[in-house]
Amino acid sequence: MKSFQYLAPIPPFDYVAPKTLSELFETLGSHGKELQILAGGTDLMIALKERIVAPRIVVDLGRLRRELGGIAVKNGVLHVGALATFSQIESSPFVARYANALLQAAANVGTLQIRSIATLGGNLATASPAADSAPPLIALGATVTLTSGSGQRTLPVQSVFAGPKRNGLRAGEIVSSVEIPAKEEVRSAWTRSAVRNENALSTVSVAVASAIQDGRFGPSRVALGAVAPTPILAERACEAMEGSEATADQAEMVAALAAEDARPISDIRASALYRKRLVRVLTKRLIMQIISESMAP
Amino acid sequence: MNVKLKFKLNGMSKTDEMEPNQTLCDYLHDVAGTTSVKKGCDTGECGACTVLLDGMPVTSCLVLAPQVDGREVVTTEGLGTKSAPHPVQREFVEKDAVQCGYCIPGMIVTMSWILDHMPGASDVEIKRLMSGNLCRCTGYLEQIEALKAARKKG
Repeated sequence: MKSFQYLAPIPPFDYVAPKTLSELFETLGSHGKELQILAGGTDLMIALKERIVAPRIVVDLGRLRRELGGIAVKNGVLHVGALATFSQIESSPFVARYANALLQAAANVGTLQIRSIATLGGNLATASPAADSAPPLIALGATVTLTSGSGQRTLPVQSVFAGPKRNGLRAGEIVSSVEIPAKEEVRSAWTRSAVRNENALSTVSVAVASAIQDGRFGPSRVALGAVAPTPILAERACEAMEGSEATADQAEMVAALAAEDARPISDIRASALYRKRLVRVLTKRLIMQIISESMAP
Repeated sequence: MNVKLKFKLNGMSKTDEMEPNQTLCDYLHDVAGTTSVKKGCDTGECGACTVLLDGMPVTSCLVLAPQVDGREVVTTEGLGTKSAPHPVQREFVEKDAVQCGYCIPGMIVTMSWILDHMPGASDVEIKRLMSGNLCRCTGYLEQIEALKAARKKG
């Protein structure tokens, strides 16, 4: 593990904080790779200090909190603005109602001080395989809206992740919001394993979303973090779960398939084998939790 | 290229002009004179540089100084004075919750937020909320006692 010493100040750059979206897209359109976008800053500041990036210009989205922030429900969809912080997400009654898995993940990101500024859009754009917001969003079937000066496009959350710390955004594009289907009947849960409870990267994270009716799983999704180059949908697990009986045996079977869907590596936090075991244990735990919540009066 | 900055620091309006490549932590400590703001890890892990930004606790080493334009910053200096300390400051003295003192300003800022926003926090919740403020000497117990005393006495 390398240790860091910041003897020299951050190399100089120009700082721009656009006050309107059109000003923002004009700026983004006229600069290429020498530009870095600043949302919450919890990833970018580290990258600047470690010289991982050395931008000529930093574009701060901070004056666009009204345009790119906020959490609201409209026409059956939960909209979360890219600049919504994890603190705002964990205390939102809309998120509590429609996206419990996202709330649980948001409440576990970093520390209180990190959650106060770190944003959902930034977490996705950084594209870490261990991004804690991703498995809940993938399990809930969320989409991401990407906006540029020339228009908008919508992608499933997993498509925003192109590789470890590599996002699928085009030049001049930003993450502007996340859309989550707001379905009362869907229950979701998230959990993770890490080397300590607080302020640690996840060794494995899992999210499950399902609607149980008449003792059977309806549309169901299992999503995994930190067990592949990007967060993934555990496809075989989803297929096996959907339409099957909501029982402990079935949960065990689905969890075993989720472990097969995982493609982890061994690294400083855990071995690949241990990660697969964790996926199985955590997936089963979440499915059992959803079953018992569904049976509660 | 220099940027201009106008913000509220501990209730007072402040204007300044600066190169943008400096952290809020360095600016507050080295330039603005609020020396309670300590640089520990400079990576957002230790919490020694915690300040309130628009009312929320943040590690100021992860904020660029120009980001606070138009916003409000409160440091430990802004919470209370020697003659009229904040309840958390007063109880830190009462409970001997300080050893070397380096982490204390950040701890007091975070605890003032807990006092205002999570008044019913359990011991476990307090420990979770304080997980971003590391202390290498005390063992944390006196600080938690101080917070609870501040909560009780007001």
